[in-house]
Amino acid sequence: MKTRARLPRLVACGATLALALSLAACGDGSGGASSDDGKIHVLVYGDASNKVEKRIVDTFNKTSDVKVVLDTIPGADYQQKLQTIISTPQAPDVFFNWGGGSIKPFVKADLLLPLDDMIKKNPDLKSKFLPNVFESAVVDGKSYGIPMRGTQPILLFHNKAVLDKAGVQPPKTWDELLDVVGKLKDEGVTPIALGGGDRWPTQMWFQYLYDRVAGPELFEKAVGGDKSAWESADSKKALSMLEELVDAGAFGKNYDSVKYTNGASPALLASGKAGFELMGSWYYSQQQTDAREFAEKNLGYAAFPTVEGGKGDPANIVGNTNNFYSVLKKTEHPEAVAEFLKLMYSDEFVKAQLDIGNLPTTTNTDEFIETSATPEYSRFQYDLVTDAPSFQLSWDQAYPPSASAPMHQAVQQFFNGQLDADGFIKAMQALPTE
Amino acid sequence: MTTQITSARPAAGPRKGARRRPDGYSATNVGRPGFTWALPATVFFALFAIVPLIMVAVLSFMSWNGLGSPEFVGMDNWSRLVDDPVMLKSIWLTLLLTALGVVIQTPLSIVLGVWAAGHQRNRAVLSVIYFVPLLLSATAVSVLWRALLDPNFGIPADAVWLFGDGNLFGEQATAIGVLAFVSTWQFTPFHTLIYQGAARAVPQVLYQAAEIDGAGRYRQFFHITLPQLRTSMITSMILMIVGGLTTFETVLILTQGGPGTDTTISAYYMYQKAFKGFDFGTGSAIALALVIAATIISLIVVRVSGYDKMRGSMEGVS
Repeated sequence: MKTRARLPRLVACGATLALALSLAACGDGSGGASSDDGKIHVLVYGDASNKVEKRIVDTFNKTSDVKVVLDTIPGADYQQKLQTIISTPQAPDVFFNWGGGSIKPFVKADLLLPLDDMIKKNPDLKSKFLPNVFESAVVDGKSYGIPMRGTQPILLFHNKAVLDKAGVQPPKTWDELLDVVGKLKDEGVTPIALGGGDRWPTQMWFQYLYDRVAGPELFEKAVGGDKSAWESADSKKALSMLEELVDAGAFGKNYDSVKYTNGASPALLASGKAGFELMGSWYYSQQQTDAREFAEKNLGYAAFPTVEGGKGDPANIVGNTNNFYSVLKKTEHPEAVAEFLKLMYSDEFVKAQLDIGNLPTTTNTDEFIETSATPEYSRFQYDLVTDAPSFQLSWDQAYPPSASAPMHQAVQQFFNGQLDADGFIKAMQALPTE
Repeated sequence: MTTQITSARPAAGPRKGARRRPDGYSATNVGRPGFTWALPATVFFALFAIVPLIMVAVLSFMSWNGLGSPEFVGMDNWSRLVDDPVMLKSIWLTLLLTALGVVIQTPLSIVLGVWAAGHQRNRAVLSVIYFVPLLLSATAVSVLWRALLDPNFGIPADAVWLFGDGNLFGEQATAIGVLAFVSTWQFTPFHTLIYQGAARAVPQVLYQAAEIDGAGRYRQFFHITLPQLRTSMITSMILMIVGGLTTFETVLILTQGGPGTDTTISAYYMYQKAFKGFDFGTGSAIALALVIAATIISLIVVRVSGYDKMRGSMEGVS
């Protein structure tokens, strides 16, 4: 079957482990996060947004004595690789993250610098950002992150042409959504595209529905360790509503074989084979790249429908609140780092982010929206985020990393019927919360 | 350094001296294999295989999330694995996929290999085409098939009569079927190559004798070719088994262990625990269990088949 013996490869994995292990051992007590070269290393997720980060670094280096070096880790393995190096001498001084659960283990391991002193010296580091975004990098009452890049709320996108043909409007309430699902089915299209093969898109439906039905408090309780939250009546109600939606055929029958990451589910919407897709705000630029004509003519977007009688504020949103820069405790240039972080609310930063389609969450973003590449879309997102009483961080980001695989499994199994509501509740209760 | 090579003729003077004086080198010594020659490979093997293996073994008794220092927890990781239903399921799935691989690929590659060993027209051209899948990396192959099997834009969309709603990755049976199929598609060429070489090595006199005795093509195949392929079959099967036990990329890309945990094989479970869940202790325990299992199964195959006694397939020929 497999020709090249896999044993060596397994062993190579072991070697990586072993290497990391010995590095970790060296790291203890030797201090100095690679800053013995008199520079600050900034580690970021390697993707298209890097061009803005490079520009900001250049701006900073023009005036600063302590230079910033930008290191990028390409691909989706960012979190894994970060965790492998963060307790070694190779650790960066400043690094990109998603706030919340993504940095909690580092805080627990006492690797991160609380930024409260920095903020005391320069209150703008906090006050220049939208409060509900800034809060999601607060762990145990201390700030550990300064927002960078942009916010990514989850929106309900749709194909205008498909909706027109079926004679329906984007649904404002859950009942309307169920109604629209039926009408789209009659038209012979999949009502809602879902990349269930990736699992995290499936999770987005849980996040919104739980928030609408029970309010953000239920999840906050659960992620805080109170597992009874999952057994509450609200939890069961949200699950039964999801079940109803799945049973109504909203997602078709083969969603678990469809992926978002290989472009299949966005193609469903773009080709008119589906009416809706629930996805993060990056979907807009994704469609512009993949299906330009569709994106310009027929791509619509709306907030998630409201749920009648639900406890959550209908203006609440969920998604990736923002990306953040966190600082390592052992950095030898905290003053220079503080100076660098100030650039994250500079005009230059906001303009550059808007131009590549990101929506920064600084208080002055508003002033630059009209001149951005897609003002209407930027405005919609901006209003949504500023008006939202709560912005729930994606579940898999809010929980510790060890929870994400079993959580994704439970989410997938509930949708395809392998788990009933009780099974799902049990699976969520079994997740580690710290 | 012990470079002791027994020389055929009595050496002139002590060997130690011979090494220092270049003129003392005997013709029989030069170019003969000695331990020194194996040293670089041995050092690399020790450094990149043995040492990590030992460290993985040590790590399997520790709790470590990649941050700070590992903490010794004794048998915790192991006892948790024994009680873990996903782990047990993953072992069955691994064995199932391995068995499927052997059962499907062995007959297929024997038939193809024996055919490719012949002298038919177009044989060379077709053999080259068969060989192409092996030249692609498992990752590329998986990405390719994932796209080809997309229910809305791939083959299932055009062949609804065969695939139904095309939910191949959403159900256990079909997901496992796809995994077995993709492995077969990629690795049959390699085993075909083994059987082709072996079939070519069967002495022609056997067939000539059989023909005189009046044996037809099928009898020749079952009574001469197949028995003569015995050692190659064992080689090929050991490779299939070890490969099957450590399958990884196809699962990572095609199913990610899903739906649910329905295709979570042990190697993928190890990756999930160690590199996605940051539980390196448990990950190491799974890795070590896999290494041990693969070694034991290989040994059993070698023993049962008599391969260790080097019983050749040529017996009775010369």
